[in-house]
Amino acid sequence: MISLTHLTKVYGRTTAVDDLNLEVGTGELFGFIGPNGAGKTTTIKMMTGLLAPTRGGVRINGFDMARQPESAKQEIGFIPDRPYLYEKLTGREFLSFIGDLYGVAPSESLRRAERWLTSFGLAEWGHELVEAYSHGMKQRLIMSAALLHEPRVLVVDEPMVGLDPSAIVQVKTLFRQLTAKGTTIFMSTHTLQVAEDLCDRIGVLHRGRLIALGSPEELRRQTVAGATEIQESLEAVFMQLTAEAGSADHA
Amino acid sequence: MPERPPVSPRTLTTLLKPRLWSLGIRRDGRADRLSTRHGIRQVVITLIGVLFWALIFTISRRVLTYFKNIELLGDLLAFKLLAMLLVTLFSLLIFSNILAALTKLYLSRDLQLVHALPLPPHLLFAARWLEGTVDSAWTVLLYSMPVFIAYGMVFAAPLQYYPIMLLTEVSLALIAAALSSGAVMLAVLWIPASRIRTLFLVLGVILFIILLVTFRMLRPERLADPEAFATVVAYLDTLQAPNSLYLPSSWAFSALHSTLTRATAFPHLDLALLLSSAGALCGLMVWAAARLYYPGYSKSQTAGLRPLGQGIFSGRGLQRWVVGPQTAIALKEIRSFLRDQAQWTQLFLICALVVIYLFNFKALPLERAPIKTIYLQNLLSFLNVGLASFVLTAIAARFAFPAVSNEREAIWIIRAAPLSLKRFLWIKFAAYLVPLLLLTEILVVVTNLLLQVTPFMMAISTITILLVVPGVVSLAVGLGAAYPNFKAETPAQAATGFGGLLFMMLAAIYIGTVLVLAAGPVYTIMRAGFLGRELVAREQIWVFMNFGLSLVIHLSIILYPMRWGEKRLTDHLQ
Repeated sequence: MISLTHLTKVYGRTTAVDDLNLEVGTGELFGFIGPNGAGKTTTIKMMTGLLAPTRGGVRINGFDMARQPESAKQEIGFIPDRPYLYEKLTGREFLSFIGDLYGVAPSESLRRAERWLTSFGLAEWGHELVEAYSHGMKQRLIMSAALLHEPRVLVVDEPMVGLDPSAIVQVKTLFRQLTAKGTTIFMSTHTLQVAEDLCDRIGVLHRGRLIALGSPEELRRQTVAGATEIQESLEAVFMQLTAEAGSADHA
Repeated sequence: MPERPPVSPRTLTTLLKPRLWSLGIRRDGRADRLSTRHGIRQVVITLIGVLFWALIFTISRRVLTYFKNIELLGDLLAFKLLAMLLVTLFSLLIFSNILAALTKLYLSRDLQLVHALPLPPHLLFAARWLEGTVDSAWTVLLYSMPVFIAYGMVFAAPLQYYPIMLLTEVSLALIAAALSSGAVMLAVLWIPASRIRTLFLVLGVILFIILLVTFRMLRPERLADPEAFATVVAYLDTLQAPNSLYLPSSWAFSALHSTLTRATAFPHLDLALLLSSAGALCGLMVWAAARLYYPGYSKSQTAGLRPLGQGIFSGRGLQRWVVGPQTAIALKEIRSFLRDQAQWTQLFLICALVVIYLFNFKALPLERAPIKTIYLQNLLSFLNVGLASFVLTAIAARFAFPAVSNEREAIWIIRAAPLSLKRFLWIKFAAYLVPLLLLTEILVVVTNLLLQVTPFMMAISTITILLVVPGVVSLAVGLGAAYPNFKAETPAQAATGFGGLLFMMLAAIYIGTVLVLAAGPVYTIMRAGFLGRELVAREQIWVFMNFGLSLVIHLSIILYPMRWGEKRLTDHLQ
């Protein structure tokens, strides 16, 4: 379970994330959408302990990220949007490194690494250096690494970037399986169709503030002011919400 | 029909603009506004640079003045030294240009963008080559200049000596850059594309051989020992041994020598040879680049597959003994190091330095020393602790200082893991402490054995090194964490800059302080030993206090830089 309380991040004069309050329940797949520069990645960085908030706090399965960072991080599997890895390690060595870092027993780490490498179609590349991998392969390796210690919370920043269509289908299926087993997934994405297809609830972030929150169905209803008409797609909802928030800011 | 882009010298300037802008040089000549902190840092670096330049000039002038006052031999010694300097300068320019050419022309990250530009390859080559030449040559030229100016002043050279000196240096740099880039351009074509980085290994071996050959060619020990020659004539003959006629450094020597001594009516002949060679080689290289650069670059785009070094070190043995983050990070460091051939060249250079270091001690003519040998041996052993510590500092600057920066953009993995930055830094500390401690202790013990020092001196030097190495490694890892450069393309690049400079200065102060503190007590104890008496109470207190203070300094240096580095790194990552 993820709990964000009055979460705020200020860079100089810019407020990247402004008083964000949010609860994501166990086994829920939560989608975080918003235009470029809305504060999605900053929020994710604070949730994963990469950034310290200016105000407010983050709790992961009851562990406070500020006070018990190591326990909180142990609960999380993180998939960033850009796959920066150790280029001089092979895929298998990288997974072994992650296993050791998260305290997975070596024999278990090896077994799980083989399982995920096979599952993500990287088994035959496991002995090659990461520097020889394509962007998509690196992304799949990061996913394998994030799942290696069987985290109870998965935080994903733009999961489908660089993946081919079959890998996208595979990831969607995997996310559904994980949530069915009780894993909480917090996912930031620009691909609205993915959010619509997968997420139980969606939060729309605009200029650091949460401007809408609900299931895809609820969002489609609440956007059309005073009307009973339901928007056809999340794309239309997104455009309307961000436009309204933008004009309200300028007013 | 699409419009063809213009190709002119102006295009070359446009290609160099990003670099000029990053240096803060704008078209209108104005500089970027700097923050106060950055400005202070720039001022400090400039001041240190100026002081270092002035120091080289002062020492050179004093040495040359001393030579000048020695009858018969003085001028010969000075000019032999000039020839040596020019050979060394040319070798240094070749080394640094080879590495710069590889990085700038084939391995740089921005090359993909540059090669997508609608411009002919030879123009891209020329722009990158010019950048690499300036980058690799400016420090060598800047800091060799005070020596040449000192020559001009001591030998009361005519005014034309100074422009000739400048043109000679620039020509040497251009010739070295053209030869190095030409060699790299050809080597890249021959070596299979998937193994481009193996080129570094080849270069490492070449560097090692050239260094040793240059060292032997110089035969520095003969300069200090004229008595070893059968006759004065043989000595003079050795000093006047001609350099190779085909070496550009020989032409540079002739140009400077004839101007300094006003020996010939045409001192510009050698300079003309240098300038025309530089021009011809540069032209030839651009011509060759039009045909060879793009095919070589294209080959270099295929990434390495099978990792080199996997067979050398799998790490499974270590994993059997210890598991957890410490093994994970230590194994990652070792594997990454062994698979990065760029690091191997540095290892070869270190091996060469160690061999030369030990050779110097072996070649010491102790038996001909005017003072009692046992004093000299132990004095040298004590000084050797300082020398070995300075060697350690140089190696730590190159390997331990960039330890944190080497994580590059993958630092997020450590930040997201259930591992505190403090523990991460101490694991890094341990990973570099073990090899550096071993290397330095071997240096000190072997030299002590060569010097046949007393057991007391052996114990003092090994214990001092045992305490100095953790201090220097802590300074290196701590300051490397305080001034990280996660964008650096090579570890060497991460070690340059303010943090690296601060590390070198603090390490020098630290080593100097603990050696000064130890010198008095060591002398007192040894003297008492030679005289066969016990230390009196006052001496015992003094020795105890000095060693106690040294111990406090050692412990502080081990702890505080790491703490400071952790704090600064935490702030940096926010």
